[in-house]
Amino acid sequence: MSNFMLRKLLQIPASALALCSFTALLAPNANAAFLQEPAAAPKEGEKPAEEKKKEEKEEWFAVTNGDVFTGTGSLLRGMTVLAKNGVIVKIASEVDIPEGAKVLDAKGMRVYPGLVAVASSGLLGGSSAELEDTVDPFNSRMLLGLASGITSTGIGSVAAKLKRGEIKGVVLRDKFSTTLTYSTNNPSSKRNLVEKLDVTAKYLREFREYEAKKASNKDLKEPAKKGVDSALLAVLKGETMARFNADGREDLIAIARLAQKYGFRPVIDGCEEGWTVADELGRAGAFAVLTPRNRDDKSEALVRPGGSSIENAAILHAHGVQVAIIPATRGVDLGGIAGRDIIHLPIEAGFAVRGGLPQAAAIAAITIVPARILGVDHRVGTIEVGKDCDLLVMDGDLLHYQTFVQYAIVDGKQVYDKEAELWFAHIRPRTTASMAPETRVDAGEEVDPNAAPKVDAPKDGAKPEEAKPPEEKKPGGGETPPEKKPEEPPKETGGDEGSGGEVGG
Amino acid sequence: MKTLNAIVLAAFPALCSAAALPDLVAIKVGRAETVSHGVIEHAVILVEDGKIVTIGQDLPIERGIRVIDLESWIAMPGLVNPYSRIGLDSRAGDEFNPQISAFDDLYPTGEDYDKLLEYGVTTLGLYPAGRAVPGRAVVVRPGPDTAEAMLVARDAYLKVYFRSDSRSKKMVKDAFAKVDEYLEKEKKAKEKFDKEASGKKPEAKPEEKKPDEKAPAQDGEKKEEKKDDKAKKAYVPAEPDDKVKPFLDIVNGKLNALISIGQAADFLHLMDAIGERKLSFDLRIPMTREIDIYEVEKQIGERKCRIVMEPEITLTPGTMRMRNLAQEFSAAGSKIVFLPRGDTLTAHKTWLRNVGEVVAQGLPREIALRALTLEPAELMGVGARLGSLDKNKDANMVFLNGDPFEPGTKIMAVMLEGRIVFGEVAQ
Repeated sequence: MSNFMLRKLLQIPASALALCSFTALLAPNANAAFLQEPAAAPKEGEKPAEEKKKEEKEEWFAVTNGDVFTGTGSLLRGMTVLAKNGVIVKIASEVDIPEGAKVLDAKGMRVYPGLVAVASSGLLGGSSAELEDTVDPFNSRMLLGLASGITSTGIGSVAAKLKRGEIKGVVLRDKFSTTLTYSTNNPSSKRNLVEKLDVTAKYLREFREYEAKKASNKDLKEPAKKGVDSALLAVLKGETMARFNADGREDLIAIARLAQKYGFRPVIDGCEEGWTVADELGRAGAFAVLTPRNRDDKSEALVRPGGSSIENAAILHAHGVQVAIIPATRGVDLGGIAGRDIIHLPIEAGFAVRGGLPQAAAIAAITIVPARILGVDHRVGTIEVGKDCDLLVMDGDLLHYQTFVQYAIVDGKQVYDKEAELWFAHIRPRTTASMAPETRVDAGEEVDPNAAPKVDAPKDGAKPEEAKPPEEKKPGGGETPPEKKPEEPPKETGGDEGSGGEVGG
Repeated sequence: MKTLNAIVLAAFPALCSAAALPDLVAIKVGRAETVSHGVIEHAVILVEDGKIVTIGQDLPIERGIRVIDLESWIAMPGLVNPYSRIGLDSRAGDEFNPQISAFDDLYPTGEDYDKLLEYGVTTLGLYPAGRAVPGRAVVVRPGPDTAEAMLVARDAYLKVYFRSDSRSKKMVKDAFAKVDEYLEKEKKAKEKFDKEASGKKPEAKPEEKKPDEKAPAQDGEKKEEKKDDKAKKAYVPAEPDDKVKPFLDIVNGKLNALISIGQAADFLHLMDAIGERKLSFDLRIPMTREIDIYEVEKQIGERKCRIVMEPEITLTPGTMRMRNLAQEFSAAGSKIVFLPRGDTLTAHKTWLRNVGEVVAQGLPREIALRALTLEPAELMGVGARLGSLDKNKDANMVFLNGDPFEPGTKIMAVMLEGRIVFGEVAQ
């Protein structure tokens, strides 16, 4: 098996990459099943008592007519997401939008959950140790983070939100993880950890027994907490995540077995050789934090498979490992080689798709999976009623290299508008974009053939040919129809970028 | 004209025999920038004992009064720099010392102060150095040889250095929490005092009404014990701790707070630390090239903060788009106080010209003039005494050979409290 050859083949220039292997998403007619009724919506009868007090504070926000990719597996076309005081209260096609609500029309655009960067640095300014007191919500890096779709992130051991212009409610969760060392290169640390875990696990067993019996037997004494590591106790109780840094196969197996023995789910940063032991990691219920573009040769001294693989994410996912994706550089890097820093989070996920990871899993890898690692999945990571209204309105597929975040919404407030900020406003301006999203078709995606012309005609005053693309869609291919080309001339910015939605063309 | 004449005569009967008074002098200038009430062409400014006695257009001057004819010049109030450490050493701590006054640092000899007069600066606010809360600033006049002679007013403002970090926030929270603690304690003490005081009046009655009321019986006994030592005195609040008092004065509006912040986020954190408290304070914001303070200019404007800033045109971060923040802040409702671009003599020398650059970029002229004179004076609590060309104010004046903000204009003479301290004036 020439793994080496395979890798050679895969290392083709980035410029030729077509990142998106568009998987079939749910058929439109399935939408009805996913309409969600607001759990937290005010009930008609209750109003009078509390209404007067609350009315002043109520802030409504609605994103209307967007194609909503909820991140839970469904695509809801032409839906409105309604939020009250920053929390989603309704997702439906017909919504009574309250008076005074801020409305963002996302017609022809896609709505995704805000991305979650499992780790980053610098996006909130300040220091992670005292983020609440030092956050700089006007930091240009925060703006770049939002421009790339990141609305929540882990900083150190704090989970935080990118709330532009606000310092309250920034910290979502403190101390979500404990970093542990368990490496074959460091036997004493291994021994140490096992000893501590033994003590802690024993205490926890005794404590639970005590909890169960104390009601009936009042003579029982609470077990002594002496020697118990509080951080490990939190891990074993499932309150925080145990985090490891490991790439090598031996370490990964060791961590998987340790986790199974003590009954916790490990988060493994790196996990480069994970694909060789994916079954072990899957059984351990591990989370893997991957950088699909990282490359590492296998040790030539070993016969076994090893080294990095572009299929890593796909193989781990297939074995039940929860995959989160993070670019190689955790901060915003405006020098060196572009495209490997935190503001290319969706691009990095695109590489995992290239290696076979399903599209939905790739989106989960930058939304709900990192949210679970950060322990904030009850608030962010998907578009669901009752969750925070952190949304991205995009002009195309989230993982496509050409797609831009058009609007970012955090806690029901619009905090980014591509046209209003200087960074990307000049690239394919929204008003003159040749890439009318309706005519851009992803491979395998079902499109209502009647929908496209209706929207296109009035919008661009475009030619009748433009209505045709959906019909000429080539099954399985990445290409969009040639009819789009006539549209190019009016656009003069950047010859290369102007080639519209042609994928791999 | 006649009525004006009459007023002059009526208001100052001494004028009739003015010839005898050597320090009564009438200054005729081509134009006077009063700052407080616009421009007066062909102004006559009557000065006596270092104060402006009156000012008006073409006032008739009684015979015998000495006249200084400066018809080709323009007069404006002396410049006021409220935020300087010129002439002080650069020792700086990092401590919470609101009780310290910059007056203790004052070291009056030094040519720097004479140079300042030459550049038109007639009032200086010297602040204590250091981070955290270094102490209170002092208002001085440059020139005299002793600290006492330099002193115009103490307690100009309390300087607070605030940045987005836990330490700064805790410092501010704690400082005001101590004020609350003190006020709470005083409130209770006063209540107790009042109770005791008011208890005396019914004191005779409870004895009669004993069968009707149960509790007063005990109270009555207590009051009887104390009735001798507490006569009809008014309640005297306890003196607060000297580290608490400046903040108490701020809460009561007796002392200004000048809070130094460095970026927009600092303001939000400051607001967070202050909480619901209704305080008025002013902000010192150093104008760095790409400062992002405009992000909160609306909120700052709503709080009516004065902005103490350098006359600089800054850039929108990441761009070459220029911003006139002074103009933006003033439009948002804040009042502007200009400082020289640096705390050096050279910067004072080019001060007017630098402000001229900001005026050329769109800042209204009258706001710029005020930002150099009356506004800093009000910031330091001496606005009633100096900062504009008004009756009864100190005769601090700068005489220029043209418009203050025109590039070629020179300072021809400077008057400090009625004395010409710089320039040749034919008398």
